[in-house]
Amino acid sequence: MAPPRGEVLQGTLDLIVLQTLHAMGPLHGYGIAQRVQQVSEDLMKLNQGTLYPALLRLEQRGWISSKWGSSENNRKAKFYSLTRAGRTQLLAETESWERMTALMARFLGGTEGA
Amino acid sequence: MEWLRVLGLRWRGLFLKQKLDGELDAELRTHLDMLVEENVRKGLTPEEARHAARRQFGGLEQTKELYRDQRSLPFLETLLQDLRYALRMLKKSPGFAVVAVLTLALGIGANTAVFSIVNGVLLHPLPFANADRLVVVGESEDQGKPSTTSFATFEDWKTRSKSFEDLTLYRQWQPTLMAPDEPEQLIGLRVTNNYFPTLGIRIAAGRDFTPGDDQPATRFVAILSHALWQRRFKSDPAIVGKAINLSGVSFTVVGVLPANYESLIATDLRASGVEIWGALGYDATLPDACRTCRHLRGIGRLRSGVTVGQADAELNSITHQLSKEHPTEFSSGGAMVMPVYQELLGGVIGTLYVLLGAVGFVLLIACANLANLLLARATHREREMAIRAALGAGRARIIRQVLVENCSLAMAGGLVGLLLANWMPEILSLVPAMNLPRLDQVRLDWHVLGFAFAIALLTGILSGIVPAIRMTKINLQTALQQGGRGSSLGGGGMRSFLVVSEIALSLTLLLGAGLLLRSLVRLVNVRSGFEPAHLLTLRVSPVGARYAKDEPVRDYIARANERIRSIPGVLASGSSSQIPFGGNFDQTWLHVDGKMNANPALDPSAERYIISEGYLEAMGIHLVRGRDFTRHDRETTEQVMIVNETAAREIWPGADPIGQHVHVGDSKSPPRTVVGIVDDVHHYTLDAAPTMQFYLPVLQTDTSDLVFAVRCACEPSQIANTVGRAIRSVDETLPVYRVTPMSEYVAATTADRRLALILLGSFAAIALLLSVVGIYGVTEYSVAQRAREIGIRMALGAERKEVFGLMLRQGLMLSSAGVALGTIFSFTLTGFLRGLVFGIAVTDPLTLLCAAAILSAAALLACWVPSRKVMSVDPIMALRHD
Repeated sequence: MAPPRGEVLQGTLDLIVLQTLHAMGPLHGYGIAQRVQQVSEDLMKLNQGTLYPALLRLEQRGWISSKWGSSENNRKAKFYSLTRAGRTQLLAETESWERMTALMARFLGGTEGA
Repeated sequence: MEWLRVLGLRWRGLFLKQKLDGELDAELRTHLDMLVEENVRKGLTPEEARHAARRQFGGLEQTKELYRDQRSLPFLETLLQDLRYALRMLKKSPGFAVVAVLTLALGIGANTAVFSIVNGVLLHPLPFANADRLVVVGESEDQGKPSTTSFATFEDWKTRSKSFEDLTLYRQWQPTLMAPDEPEQLIGLRVTNNYFPTLGIRIAAGRDFTPGDDQPATRFVAILSHALWQRRFKSDPAIVGKAINLSGVSFTVVGVLPANYESLIATDLRASGVEIWGALGYDATLPDACRTCRHLRGIGRLRSGVTVGQADAELNSITHQLSKEHPTEFSSGGAMVMPVYQELLGGVIGTLYVLLGAVGFVLLIACANLANLLLARATHREREMAIRAALGAGRARIIRQVLVENCSLAMAGGLVGLLLANWMPEILSLVPAMNLPRLDQVRLDWHVLGFAFAIALLTGILSGIVPAIRMTKINLQTALQQGGRGSSLGGGGMRSFLVVSEIALSLTLLLGAGLLLRSLVRLVNVRSGFEPAHLLTLRVSPVGARYAKDEPVRDYIARANERIRSIPGVLASGSSSQIPFGGNFDQTWLHVDGKMNANPALDPSAERYIISEGYLEAMGIHLVRGRDFTRHDRETTEQVMIVNETAAREIWPGADPIGQHVHVGDSKSPPRTVVGIVDDVHHYTLDAAPTMQFYLPVLQTDTSDLVFAVRCACEPSQIANTVGRAIRSVDETLPVYRVTPMSEYVAATTADRRLALILLGSFAAIALLLSVVGIYGVTEYSVAQRAREIGIRMALGAERKEVFGLMLRQGLMLSSAGVALGTIFSFTLTGFLRGLVFGIAVTDPLTLLCAAAILSAAALLACWVPSRKVMSVDPIMALRHD
């Protein structure tokens, strides 16, 4: 049975958040959710609430930092930004992800040919 | 290190809960508001927009829950919750809490107290570098301990053996510090120059002894203990290099030891540590260095990798070889090597482990008691637990809640117990003249605190686990329906089992205490051979140039005796070179005419007392036959001696010793004639048979040790000052010291037994108290539970007395079962007491009977009181109750 379309794989959410912050600069939780949805073109179904435990986890590890600030509409919101350690982590994870997808592609390509 | 940072943040989350919760709420609200706004912009009505936002966001509370778990330490958080709840519950039943805490305090306190002794005396490392390689070496005689040796033999050991990195020798030394204001007898050792390096001790100020110091002509150098330096030299920073007068001879102070040096070699039962060290300064030419001059003790440091057994074997074979080379100078020709800690502590290890075991029983009893209380309480808390279970609390969660409650009780008990254990040094000081080494190390340190904490936790879990599990077996429906009136738990069997175990353990402790008590009574009633009551002893050292010859010493003794006897109340006075239980020993050979061995070393040796006239009378030593010495036994008259009954019996079996001739010490010395026989005197301990002893008149012998024994018709302490002054008035320069009633010396020999008795006795008392509380609790509970049944019985015509008998019988059944079990249990355990028991069998039936009787009587009382309550049960009320 195929998994439901767009289910977020364990661990990929961290990478997605890090990459989003890398690309967009400091963002609040809502902004991150919007951006994720936009990039995935609604292919991925994300319960936006699940972002917050993930953000806390990344912050505890020192990969992102947070600061209270004002949103575009002058709302009080918490802004997250990538730290130096986060950048290093992002590079490392991107690399390992690419290795993994290349490997999987090779395997899957092989079975298709057979 | 990342996990550490995460842990730190989570730990912080634990304490900033409210602030962080507020921030999370604000953040999530902003997010939702933004979603709603966006949805409105897309054209939804505000109502629809809100619903859509909720959908997009997902479960708000779930998010918060996940977030909180991530933020903090959920395990700790619920633990804190449990703890708060536990404290609230305990506040609601203060009576239960107080009883529980006190029970545990007794158990944990007693355990911590005993552990603090074990920790200080046994576990605390000896203050020497690599103490495990330090051994005591000596010639072996019969005591199972290395004995003394001679300088000549020691030198041979040193050159022939390969097991030791270093070998050092010491001898006792009691120099008198001749200070003009206050002369004082010091406790010292004369040691070879490698003594401190062998022990691994560095000199704090000045220098160590050198080989140059360790010669007969240059040995007059001394090293002081830090305490002596402070006490007698006012911490003089320039002490090194100064001259001090010791017994009339000038010594140069070359060094001071560090403050933390703990001297372990007590040379006298009543002496604290050694305070001064001098160089041994022997060489082979000295008369004291002869092979039969066995007055030196050896300490060795084993080479690494060499075992005690190997060293022992090597030293033995060397010594056997030596005894072949010098056939007339050895009796056995063996040697012995023993680890230093065993030599120091060997005698107390057994006692301490017995106490540790006994106090463990006390803890078990306390646990059983608490478990009993908890089981009783469990029935009252059934409804509460049922509600918790109904609201979804899992089995593990309920068990945890109960254990947390119990552990908080145990911690409180542990704290109170620590207060009790804190008094341990004071309790120990109640036993005068304690002989236990290293008692100054007994204190509350981190080990003891850690032990108390661990044991409290263990107690909490141990006593709580059974009641906790039982609470999870509640039948939800009946518990909720009955509303706490009846009980679906029962637990009667378990409670009875606990009480029976308590009684059994208590019986064992009572029996142990009883055996020790009876041993002590027997020991105190052993005929010591003299009368210790109303007897004062005082030491004097006649030293200095004035007393170099015998005549001035004899004159001094005669004048001192004369002045003492003129004091009102004094009945008799005399002097001796040593007194029973005084801690020193002086033995020499008796070569008897007609009974001499080819090897004179095999002739009998006996304890020697060099006494003045009046000594036997003052001590109350009974003259069996013949005559005492008089002032007319002088150098010029016939040389005489007195022997004790053991010597008379063993040397001259079946013959009359009086009139026989003996060469004392040296087989070539002029013979002495035996003129009297006296009673045996216990010299070392009361629990071993006296050995051979003999007495010489001081007017015919030389002596440097002097103890006065003064008998009065009063308390010895009352005349201590007067007698001291009288002796000093003969010569102000001689210190009079260790002014001690004879009874204290005797008491010191039973001190370790008394300590064991006091401790074991208190444990037995605590155990008895706890068992009584336990039986009381079970009976009372059973009366309350069976009130309805009792009501029915009485309504059906049962006599109150019958019902009362019924309840009483139940209690008695429990106590008899406990006593029976305890008897079996005791017989398997009392063997451990063998070393402490004297004069009775460890299975002494009378003691067992007494212990059982005390316990049964207490148990009867404990169920009598609550059983009386049935007499006041109103059948109508009891029946209506349901």
